[in-house]
Amino acid sequence: MASTQPVNVKLLLIGNSSVGKSSLLLRFSDEQWLPEDEATATIGVDFRVHKMDVNGKKVKCSIWDTAGQERFRTITSSYYRGAQGIILVYDVANRESFDGLPKWFSELETYVSPAVVKIVVGNKVDKEFSRQVSYAEGEQFAKRMNSLFIEASAKTAVGVSEAFREVVEKIIDTPELWAAAIDKTRTGGARPAPPTHNAPSTSGEGMPGTISLDDAGDNGPSAGGCAC
Amino acid sequence: MPTELPYAADAEVSLSYDELEVLRTQYQKEQTQAHVTIQTKFNYAWGLVKSPLREHQVEGVRLLQEIYRAEPARRRECLYYLALGHYKMDNYEEASRFNSLLLEKEPTNMQAQSLAALIERKVTRDGYIGMAMVGGIAAVSALVAAALIRRANRK
Repeated sequence: MASTQPVNVKLLLIGNSSVGKSSLLLRFSDEQWLPEDEATATIGVDFRVHKMDVNGKKVKCSIWDTAGQERFRTITSSYYRGAQGIILVYDVANRESFDGLPKWFSELETYVSPAVVKIVVGNKVDKEFSRQVSYAEGEQFAKRMNSLFIEASAKTAVGVSEAFREVVEKIIDTPELWAAAIDKTRTGGARPAPPTHNAPSTSGEGMPGTISLDDAGDNGPSAGGCAC
Repeated sequence: MPTELPYAADAEVSLSYDELEVLRTQYQKEQTQAHVTIQTKFNYAWGLVKSPLREHQVEGVRLLQEIYRAEPARRRECLYYLALGHYKMDNYEEASRFNSLLLEKEPTNMQAQSLAALIERKVTRDGYIGMAMVGGIAAVSALVAAALIRRANRK
């Protein structure tokens, strides 16, 4: 069998709580859906592996599904390192979750390199009747943030596999991302320990109690914290 | 294609020395100020439970138990990480007890289901090893007995 080794891709799902990150993943990986009263809030981080073919290439996606609740922010932030694709989810029927996106983008500035592929996903389009964010608005925002955009519904499966597929395709088409990703993993793993002389940086006033575990700051000004 | 379950994200990877140190420093700083926030304590406990060192795991579990008692709003995650901590320490009975408490409240919680399967797998495997050892001992004793009997008969 001459089939090549699968390419490994690391994806991360982020966004406010209850927007449907886990549901999108469950729909994508297991083609299942849990009704709202049965779905439970993710504790820290959950994980799934999904294999797919993209333009004739075998791809093995490790998908890290993070808790949206603030009290898990320190935990989830430790999983950003090495991600090549970020899926930022909001709920089209929940304005607040859309307005929360800039906060998530500023997290990304702290933890991942700018080359990382981003997609904004407006979930729950099955709730058309109670929509609070229009397609155009979502699309515009994504464009401004240099991200892909799609609307989806984990419930009806609309747009779900497309969302994941688009990210993976773009990751594969971004060679510099591969070099960058490897560098990040290496520095993350084997870098000798600089003594932590200063207090841990708490990032962003919207996130009380969050401790940035990213002491690296090896990509740009960073070092945690927001400019607000 | 379904995922290769079971899997528990936090059971596999531990934090780097630096990362755990950040959490410990914050915890100790607040201790000297005589007020440790639940968030800081929880973060540190989580970091400890993730550690490969048993002494860390033990300390993490101890802190989680304190949080569990003090903070009802944090019980579900405490149960989960208590189960995870005991799982990593090979205390499968305890792990299963805490995880079952979580599953009782949230029967559809997929992380708890996955952890239950992990625990089950270990228990079964240890069971097989146990049985194999018992079987092995029985076989050896039988051989020894047979040899002794033969020797006794020869005399």
